[in-house]
Amino acid sequence: MRIMTSRPSARSLEGKAPVSPAAQARFTLALVAGKAAGTASRVLRVGGGTSFPGAVARRIDPRVLQKAAAAGNARNVVVTGSNGKTTTCRMLAALAHAGGLRVTQNRSGSNLLQGVTSATVRGTDLRGRMDAQLLLLEVDEATVRLVTPEVRTDTFLVTNIFRDQLDRFGELYSMASGLEAVIEALPASAIVVLNGDDPLVASLAPGAAARRLYYGIRTDVAGTQVPEHAADTIRCVRCQHLLSYRVVHLSHLGDYQCPECGNARPGLDVAVTAVRPSPEAGSEITVETPAGTFPLQVPLPGLHNVYNAAAALAGAMALSLPRPLEPAEARRAMAGLRPAFGRLEEIPAGERQVVLAFVKNPTAYNATLREVLRRPGRKHVLAAHSNTVVDGEDFAWLWDVDLEQLVPQLASLVISGTRAEEVALRFKYAGARPAATQVLPGRSAALDTALNGTPPGESLYIFAGYTPMRELRSIMQRRGWVPPSWKE
Amino acid sequence: MTTAPITVRICHLYPSLLSVAGDRGNLFALMQRCAWRGIRHSVTEADVGVVPDLAQSDLILLHGGQDREMTAAALDLAAKAGPLREAIEADAVVFAVCAGYQLLGRSYSPADGPPIQGLGVLDAVTEGGPTRFIGHVAVECDLGSGEQRQLTGFENHSGRTHLGSGAKPLGRVLAGAGNNGEDGTEGARYREVYATYLHGPVLPKNPWLADHLLSRALAHRYRDFGPLAPLTNQVEAQAHAAALGLARRPAGKWRAAAAAASRMRRSSRAPSTADGTAMRTGKARIAGKETRWTSH
Repeated sequence: MRIMTSRPSARSLEGKAPVSPAAQARFTLALVAGKAAGTASRVLRVGGGTSFPGAVARRIDPRVLQKAAAAGNARNVVVTGSNGKTTTCRMLAALAHAGGLRVTQNRSGSNLLQGVTSATVRGTDLRGRMDAQLLLLEVDEATVRLVTPEVRTDTFLVTNIFRDQLDRFGELYSMASGLEAVIEALPASAIVVLNGDDPLVASLAPGAAARRLYYGIRTDVAGTQVPEHAADTIRCVRCQHLLSYRVVHLSHLGDYQCPECGNARPGLDVAVTAVRPSPEAGSEITVETPAGTFPLQVPLPGLHNVYNAAAALAGAMALSLPRPLEPAEARRAMAGLRPAFGRLEEIPAGERQVVLAFVKNPTAYNATLREVLRRPGRKHVLAAHSNTVVDGEDFAWLWDVDLEQLVPQLASLVISGTRAEEVALRFKYAGARPAATQVLPGRSAALDTALNGTPPGESLYIFAGYTPMRELRSIMQRRGWVPPSWKE
Repeated sequence: MTTAPITVRICHLYPSLLSVAGDRGNLFALMQRCAWRGIRHSVTEADVGVVPDLAQSDLILLHGGQDREMTAAALDLAAKAGPLREAIEADAVVFAVCAGYQLLGRSYSPADGPPIQGLGVLDAVTEGGPTRFIGHVAVECDLGSGEQRQLTGFENHSGRTHLGSGAKPLGRVLAGAGNNGEDGTEGARYREVYATYLHGPVLPKNPWLADHLLSRALAHRYRDFGPLAPLTNQVEAQAHAAALGLARRPAGKWRAAAAAASRMRRSSRAPSTADGTAMRTGKARIAGKETRWTSH
């Protein structure tokens, strides 16, 4: 491989720039307080310290993230996009670890400014030094504009742009233009890793100074020729003409071309050239890279995880690893991964099994449904959504989810969350019989009822937004069925 | 009197171009509420380049989209304008949402970008504003029966629409911004054209409006069509009540401060304490109250 980033010499100067004693003291105090808050919240079992420590540290020193991220010698990688951030980061961390790097990352999907600060504070010692050689940050696509000015970014990875909580992000294109501004501000020494199969991502900031690395899928085996209903951005971003697809892999991701202006998918630097179902419930894939061919086992189901694996491998290519990544090492690292919590996570629940799926937008929901519907038998389902700052207020997107395909396979249905009424309405119009649907807004009661309705030996499928997913998971954690998310 | 089965003919304009926020839920609502009554329906989809036979349509849907998609639709709509105007003058029912609403007006001038010419069926002019109106909405409507009905849903638009004397508002805003955040009007009406900023699936949550559109559409086709058979609307009523409650939460004057406070609270909130008892659900609602986006 050897796509080397030259280490900018200005950086070491920046790290050693003279700092006033007062500023240094404030920084140290922020680190102490942040770490104490993290320890306290873990000991008191409140929250697992994913964003509270960051909030405390920022209260004391608003520049704590900037100072900590600049202090060490770590490569800073920021991963953003609508879907796949958490899984891509887990895969990239595993690959970087296999390539000899010590990694600090925000692992629990806590990807707003405070979560990012928490992870950075955790990885920094009290003298402000970071032991890790890779600071890997998953950042919410609306927050990324706030994070990148504070964290000097060596590698910036964009997974995809899907319709996700329009009430939070405004229109799709304004989100794209926000990412574009971030990329344009990156120095020439930085590398941008982009999903070449996503027309909106591939065309981000074409004139930016940073080098570009495209990844995608270059095989016809997995895909159709017509974008599914929930597909976004199927018009050419240059001339608005309807894009034509040689093959569609997932939603609007695929091999596209504009018949009007010739805008087409860029050449892929990291290309998946074969996808085969793996006996282990995931996929066997072949990836062509500048560093050779990588046969990988992706242990997580679905084509979206093939994209995540390609993104992670491309991200690893963009890092200057201490030693070149060997295909066999990469394969071992990737195959050893477990799903991130709530990503079709299988949880033994006494005589039954819970399959927990985190669903936050139509594309993720439809991809999850496709996986679940492939499994035999009728499905016991618990569906939960709540209106929170994280989950948004507008659940209109549920009508873009193809629940009509799930309903004929339903064995039982329980609905929960603070927006249970909205979810129940969606299921009624998808064909679920109201008389056979139980609406229980309380999460504990809903879980118990849904498990009671699931015969021993069978699975309960939970489809939930972020907040109810965390709540249901922590109920199961207290019952001893799952380890705390921060211990993973 | 016809012996053929009763059929309502729906035309869905720009189903892929204008369908940004679950708008197809409106179509699902109309289809299901026909099916549950044993009324047949046909759906014709007409995207760019297709000119449907609108004289054979009883109910026409025109939904929302982003500025780019709306521009593409406006260019194409010129080819459909004649038949669409004729259908409207013949009292075909049109239900238009957000960008679809703006396209039926005289013009839309986005904050950045050239103005878009509308069909001019509605006496309405729209200008892009510096901020978006985002949030739950409650509207009081009287569609001519003398009966006040409440319409509820979600708005997300930067356009400010002002109605001229030739258009009536769909209703008066009880909570939310509506047409422009100033004059208390929401949506527009002309003959059997009903336009609103309430995006996403407004019809499932407001079955009275879905049924009003259906009965007007059936009256368009069958002059002697009587009242629709009643349906059980319990799930719809619960969703309507919940949405109305969200719309009528007290507006947060200290929105920024409250949002910061709720961020702090969220940071410290333990997943292990939010176990979803009734009390905790209440807490989540209070937190939600502080995240209200728009105050009217």
